[in-house]
Amino acid sequence: MEAIIVNNLSKHFGLVNHGIKNRKREKNQQETTIKAVDDITFEVEEGEIFGFLGPNGAGKTTTIRMMTGVLKPTTGDIKIFGVDAWQNQIAVKQVMGNVPEMANVYVSFSGWQNLMFVGEIYGVSKKERIKKAEDLLKKFDLYEKRNLKAKKYSKGMNQRLLLCMALMSNPEILFLDEPTSGLDVQSAKIIKQLIREYNTQGMTIFLTTHDMEVANELCDRIAIINHGKIISLDTPINIRKITQDYQAIDLYFTDGVKPQEIKNLQSIREVQEIQEGLHIIVENIHDSICEITDYVKSHNIKIKHLSTHQPKLEEAFLKIIERGIKNE
Amino acid sequence: MNESILELKETKLRTFLIQIKRSFVITKKDLKIYYNKPPVLIQGIIFPIILFIALTVGRNVQSIYLISGLMAMTAFLTSTSIAPIVFPWETMRKTFERLITCPISIKTILLGSVWSTFIYGIIFSLIPLIFGMLFLSPQLSINLLIIIIGMMVAGLAFACFSLILSVPSTDTPGNTMIFTILIKFPLIFLSPIFMPINLTPIAFISPLTYFVDIVNIGLGDISAFGIFGVLFDIGILLAFGFGFLLLAFALHGKTLERRFRG
Repeated sequence: MEAIIVNNLSKHFGLVNHGIKNRKREKNQQETTIKAVDDITFEVEEGEIFGFLGPNGAGKTTTIRMMTGVLKPTTGDIKIFGVDAWQNQIAVKQVMGNVPEMANVYVSFSGWQNLMFVGEIYGVSKKERIKKAEDLLKKFDLYEKRNLKAKKYSKGMNQRLLLCMALMSNPEILFLDEPTSGLDVQSAKIIKQLIREYNTQGMTIFLTTHDMEVANELCDRIAIINHGKIISLDTPINIRKITQDYQAIDLYFTDGVKPQEIKNLQSIREVQEIQEGLHIIVENIHDSICEITDYVKSHNIKIKHLSTHQPKLEEAFLKIIERGIKNE
Repeated sequence: MNESILELKETKLRTFLIQIKRSFVITKKDLKIYYNKPPVLIQGIIFPIILFIALTVGRNVQSIYLISGLMAMTAFLTSTSIAPIVFPWETMRKTFERLITCPISIKTILLGSVWSTFIYGIIFSLIPLIFGMLFLSPQLSINLLIIIIGMMVAGLAFACFSLILSVPSTDTPGNTMIFTILIKFPLIFLSPIFMPINLTPIAFISPLTYFVDIVNIGLGDISAFGIFGVLFDIGILLAFGFGFLLLAFALHGKTLERRFRG
């Protein structure tokens, strides 16, 4: 079953939202309307970790804000477990947990008070609130600091506390906007580990991130968004396949190699000189290694070191974005 | 369809009652966080003291109008002090987006602010009342019930009025303070405080006029609005409060999105 269905969703900011009708202003409407999200459609399966990737200003946060009821879509609709998210906001929000990108906890409250407040807002009984808060604070390594005012928390602790707040009501869907952005290694590790754990227990997770490693490690599927449009939607493995022609070999020889000769080999696309070796971009790893081996044997050259590089998600991401820009 | 969503969708009355309950959670939060914030202290405590001194020193004000004027001014300024800073403060501190994604509507958040600012106003309005009872009671025949009812109704009306002051979608509490001063001070000066009620047309537009009349009656004076003056005052204040609340719901609904742009 689909946990989230997004249909032809758009969000325009600017004069068009204010219903200004006179002719002079209508002309200005087109000039001042920004299409933050432009007719996107996708589905998220129940129990899936779905990643939303894109450069700054691509429309990720606007999309997540529409899905969590902060912004009203200009056109299109969002269904959460088959229910229209905008028409039934309260009911839908009850089954959601959310960690907005720019959010903060109440710094005048302690970690414990923040959790009690959120639990009460979600209608969690006092007994359950206390138990849940204790469990979460222990899990997220904040229990010892639970009575400390949140203004004394580090950024990582704050983010962990925000995640605890989002989990207080046992949500069925968790929205995370840049959950590990700018965090220390320990906090990022704890958060990634727990995202996986909660997903294993059946929680659907929708996250946005700039961090390719996070997307690669966590997501079942990834949508790449740029200028408000989804330009690619697939599994991380398939997205990486887009850049198969970006496979590379690093080679270190004893001596006597002429880069131009290597470049002339049939399966080699590009050769870059690096310190004491070559970075070779190839089309096919197997054919290239065979050709290089034949070349070094025939020239009596010894290989000191050889390593291959699979295309990274980051390269795929940049390539897709680049291709999207060219197509526009 | 997810069962928990279906269940919540089908019980609208229950949802309404839950929202009322959750508005009290917002109230607790607002009172705990904002009662000692500088803009609240300035508008809620410092301003009434300064205005009281400015408007009474050197003038021969009768004790009945001294108490009713001080009560009206304190109730008005304190009952309008918290709500206008909650929204810019929470937008500035980045807590508002987290709050709005909780299962509560903007109306629930606004109601929560009404209760908190109302409670704050009532507590501080009691100070001049106690002062009057302690030092001026021999000169006055006090009807505490009328005064308390007046305080409750006026406190609610003022608290609802304060929601209008929090409509501008700024993330700087200082901007809201300037805006609220520009609205609140002229309203005080238009009202018949520290003097007998003079029924000029301009006095009718201020909700303070009706509260002052109730307190005057409670302190033994006669109503400026005739024999059913108390009922008239209460009715008008309730109408003001209800009107302000509906207007605030509509205006906040329109400006909410602007707080999350960019």
